[in-house]
Amino acid sequence: MARIGVFICHCGENISATVDVKQVAAAAARIPGVAHSVEYKYMCSDPGQQLVKDAIREKGLTGVVVAACSPRMHEPTFRRACAETGLNPFLCEMANIREHCSWVHEKGDATTEKAIDIVRTLVAKVKKNKALQPIQVPVTKVALVIGGGIAGIQASLDIANAGHRVILVEREPSIGGHMSQLSETFPTLDCSQCILTPRMVEVAQHPNITLYSYAELESLDGFIGNFKARIRRKARSLDETLCTGCGLCTQKCPTRKIPGEFDAGLGLRPAIYVPFPQAVPNKPVIDREHCTYYRTGKCRLCEKICPTQAIRFDQLDEIVEVEVGAVVVATGFDIKHGDFFPEYGYGKYPDVIDGLQFERLASASGPTLGEIRRPSDGKVPETVVFVACAGSRDPAKGIEYCSKICCMYTAKHAMLYRHKVHGGKPYVFYMDIRAGGKMYEEFVRRAMEEDGVQYVRGRISRVFERDGKLVVKGADTLLGARPMEIEADLVVLATAAVAQPGAEELAQKLHVSYDAHRFFSEAHPKLRPVETNTAGIFLAGACQAPKDIPESVAQASGAAAKVAALFSRSELVREPLIAVVDRQPPPVYSSCVGCFLCQSACPYQAIEKEEIRGRDGQLIKTVARVNPGLCQGCGTCVAFCRTKSIDIQGFSHEQVHAEVLALLNRGERDA
Amino acid sequence: MNALREKARELLATKTVQVVIGYAPGSGGAARALFVREAAQAGELVFDETCLQNLAAYLMKPEVRRLGRAALVARPATLRTILQLAAENQLAESSLLALVPGADGVLSLSTFSAIEAHVAAQDNDLSAAEKSELEKFAAMGLDERREFWQEQFSRCLKCYACRAACPLCYCTRCTVECNQPQWIPVPAHDLGNLEWNVMRAMHLAGRCTNCGDCSRACPVGIPLYLLNQKLCSDVLSSFNQRSGMAARADHSLSTFKPDDPEDFIR
Amino acid sequence: MPDFQPKIVAFVCNWCTYAGADLTGTSRMKYSPQVSIIRFPCTGRIDFMLLLKAFASGADGIIVSGCHPNDCHYSSGNFHARRRWIIFRGLLDFLGIDVRRVQFSWVSAAEGAKWAQLVNETSERIRELGPFAGYQRLRGLGVG
Ligand SMILES: Cc1cc2nc3c(=O)[nH]c(=O)nc-3n(C[C@H](O)[C@H](O)[C@H](O)COP(=O)(O)OP(=O)(O)OC[C@H]3O[C@@H](n4cnc5c(N)ncnc54)[C@H](O)[C@@H]3O)c2cc1C
Ligand code: SF4
Ligand code: SF4
Ligand code: SF4
Repeated sequence: MARIGVFICHCGENISATVDVKQVAAAAARIPGVAHSVEYKYMCSDPGQQLVKDAIREKGLTGVVVAACSPRMHEPTFRRACAETGLNPFLCEMANIREHCSWVHEKGDATTEKAIDIVRTLVAKVKKNKALQPIQVPVTKVALVIGGGIAGIQASLDIANAGHRVILVEREPSIGGHMSQLSETFPTLDCSQCILTPRMVEVAQHPNITLYSYAELESLDGFIGNFKARIRRKARSLDETLCTGCGLCTQKCPTRKIPGEFDAGLGLRPAIYVPFPQAVPNKPVIDREHCTYYRTGKCRLCEKICPTQAIRFDQLDEIVEVEVGAVVVATGFDIKHGDFFPEYGYGKYPDVIDGLQFERLASASGPTLGEIRRPSDGKVPETVVFVACAGSRDPAKGIEYCSKICCMYTAKHAMLYRHKVHGGKPYVFYMDIRAGGKMYEEFVRRAMEEDGVQYVRGRISRVFERDGKLVVKGADTLLGARPMEIEADLVVLATAAVAQPGAEELAQKLHVSYDAHRFFSEAHPKLRPVETNTAGIFLAGACQAPKDIPESVAQASGAAAKVAALFSRSELVREPLIAVVDRQPPPVYSSCVGCFLCQSACPYQAIEKEEIRGRDGQLIKTVARVNPGLCQGCGTCVAFCRTKSIDIQGFSHEQVHAEVLALLNRGERDA
Repeated sequence: MNALREKARELLATKTVQVVIGYAPGSGGAARALFVREAAQAGELVFDETCLQNLAAYLMKPEVRRLGRAALVARPATLRTILQLAAENQLAESSLLALVPGADGVLSLSTFSAIEAHVAAQDNDLSAAEKSELEKFAAMGLDERREFWQEQFSRCLKCYACRAACPLCYCTRCTVECNQPQWIPVPAHDLGNLEWNVMRAMHLAGRCTNCGDCSRACPVGIPLYLLNQKLCSDVLSSFNQRSGMAARADHSLSTFKPDDPEDFIR
Repeated sequence: MPDFQPKIVAFVCNWCTYAGADLTGTSRMKYSPQVSIIRFPCTGRIDFMLLLKAFASGADGIIVSGCHPNDCHYSSGNFHARRRWIIFRGLLDFLGIDVRRVQFSWVSAAEGAKWAQLVNETSERIRELGPFAGYQRLRGLGVG
């Protein structure tokens, strides 16, 4: 038999001014199952809480209803008070007679009646409450960071410096990402390599970081605190433990005419190569697609000259299995390439290039050693047209969003060009200039005012070749759409920033969601920007949306802080307000029919398949199971289940059903 | 018909399947289900316009499953039911094969993708007559509709014959059987009958393949098909989805689009 | 029925509308006392059976309210709920049940004023529609 205590608060006069609290207490005392009903001036005060605690002990209460303010305010207070007496805190509910009653209605019978209704509703609920135990999930304090761009590097260093082990997986032969390709960086124009390489080296040397470069995630299973990752280490064709990074092989390799990825196709590299001199790790890899030996069966020159006999032509991919407690996804972005812009001759004319290619031309370590020379004939261009929003904000090209970084890097490019080519004429075609950020607007102004970059507002319609010049046709919309034609030597397109190739596949491996443009989705656009909907998986950098370096780094540190918080305890303790799927004896039975509608509805991938087997090991049926580590307790699954097999603790079928009936039946029913 | 018998004989003789579930002449103008387990018995199979029952319902019965792999004589709705059941994780591809009798012989569909292709090519819309009946209802006044259904439901016996006939009512525990809490009162009275019928319809929304077996099973002739067709047409018009089109499909009610219509929400 | 006081149940989510209704309170805005709230974690949790139970128990009107699209605390519970209500409303209407008795809405934690307005408007509408006699007769209570 239930013995419920009802504690009605005056809240000074906040409640008692409009609600007749004495009448509420008297009415509550008449509700079947209520063993104790009192009112008091300030329930949340120490003496008020003491009142509750004493009553629990003295009257042997099995449940408590505090009729006072919103549970969003004091539910934790009163649950804690109950717990201090040994009563399970989940047997305490609050009836909100302040925000939802005394404050919003005039003094009178109707208001008091409503307060009684609310109390009766919560009494009915609490009678169906069950004692619940907090959920404890063990945590493996190792983080997996996927992607070794600046975001992944920063996240790895932060987590490692917090004292936890990190496994960093990078797809390419070296970490560094796009930042390693940049010349100088806005808004300060410091050299990208100079600020990046020390961090890359720190990663390589950090005792807490294990770096798997030239590797990819194969699969991820498990849940927060308890993931199992399989990592494919692609065959480098090299024994990394023997290689000293002397680079003899890369100098001697006879197959040398391969367009280099690092130089965005503007420079050439051999078949055995290190992407760039400061690469981490500084160990070569054989590009098997181009290597003469793999193609014809003859050569093996590198093997012969390697002083430490490190070359391994027969090396196979290797799968490494690791257990991790959290994952940071930092796989970055890409820019649009190829025949995306036939009207601009991109991909057709060698002197129509993209932003990354310009970075390489401007970089002291690039194919032109930092001199701006156009790809076709090496001539220093006298006129350069930079085109912002090349594809971005263009629904016709399928990209509605702003790529965010282009306004800034285009200003930077025009500036660098002016610094390097005296007398050069830079034009920038733009739609709007978006320079929100510290010192960003000033940076763009500088380009316009100090460096004399000519900004033209308008879209380009076409680029074509005429007498060895690139003719850029456009319109200046500020001058009443006056048509413009510029004869340029070089055209640089700030092509749209897009998701990494393979982003979708990775998202599926990780069970995280992604948006229409394949950027990974954060758990909440405002309040949980570094988390994903899968607990324990976090986002950093441009894989979530186009970002510049400071933003990528900030998000990476944010993700690292989340990981460090998760790793601060060896067990994750969570409120047990989660869904559970029916299980009954003997020995295991479930009314679940395994339709898995709940699974497709769950926003957190918290529902798994579980096989129920008989004593003989025969499969009886496959049913749903809620992973307590993942469920967030929304209850969406519950409303889908036709067999009522899945229920949510704290808002169970019995609880809410009882509430509805009690609310509407003034004094009629009360079981 | 001969082609169907021939095919059944062959499937059983070669042990490709252990049972052929088809139709035999029945009483009252409707064919009944026939379970053929021996090649010799295949001659009893018929297929004509009286063969209306959705035989996929048998695939969900444990005693039928125990017989082994089944070949199922399938009408258009049956094929969609098979796919819907598959999408709900209820059928293994290897457990069945669908036989579709047609003008030139019988088509044997042994994979879900073959069934999908066949379903994609068939007309899955409500018929013109069905649509116009729904339109007639839409044109009626609210009170008129309420009185119509109140009269219909007042005759409901809560015998659950509709549920037993429905191939998608495979739950081993139905909401009506839950008593903690008791969602639906046990006795047959107007309120409980309404609740039962609303619940049945809601639980079939986005799943029902409009085979019509529930209405045919109802001993008091309640036009349950109307409810189902209404929901089919709403699911199509609101979400542009149809049940039973693919074996690996998201259920229309447990998925969503961010821009689903919401003109009724303030 | 000039002094008819309708009974209205509001099913609301914890994170937006419940908090919005709290704000109505902290801002001391007044609304009609005929509406009482039942708290759910999310609109996604709200089973259509509960709406039937509310009518069966004598509710004259129902409010269902949660977070605006894209603001769901659980990211998509409200989207699932919306689909369910589209179908459920269509069915009720088809059965001759007046869907004006069920008001769906999105009320955010900042929309205290919207909550008050919603409650007042809904109460007014239900008052005009009168007691839900059709449904209550099914229950065998008759109309008092
Ligand atoms: C032309 C241009 C100029 C720019 N100039 C500036 C500037 O001046 N200042 C500024 O602040 N920002 C600038 N940016 C933006 C800057 O490049 C980005 O902000 C930054 O690179 C984002 O870092 P990230 O680590 O998120 O992504 P990335 O740099 O893209 O790094 C992602 C890393 O993840 C790896 N990876 C991808 N997929 C996988 C996988 N499946 N498994 C394992 N590893 C994977 C990639 O190989 C890469 O190493 C510029 C961008 C461009 C295009
Ligand atoms: S919806 Fe219910 S019956 Fe279906 S899988 Fe989930 S728990 Fe089981
Ligand atoms: S309560 Fe929500 S999060 Fe938990 S299993 Fe159900 S749908 Fe998923
Ligand atoms: S078959 Fe007809 S009478 Fe029987 S439960 Fe279904 S609707 Fe009611």
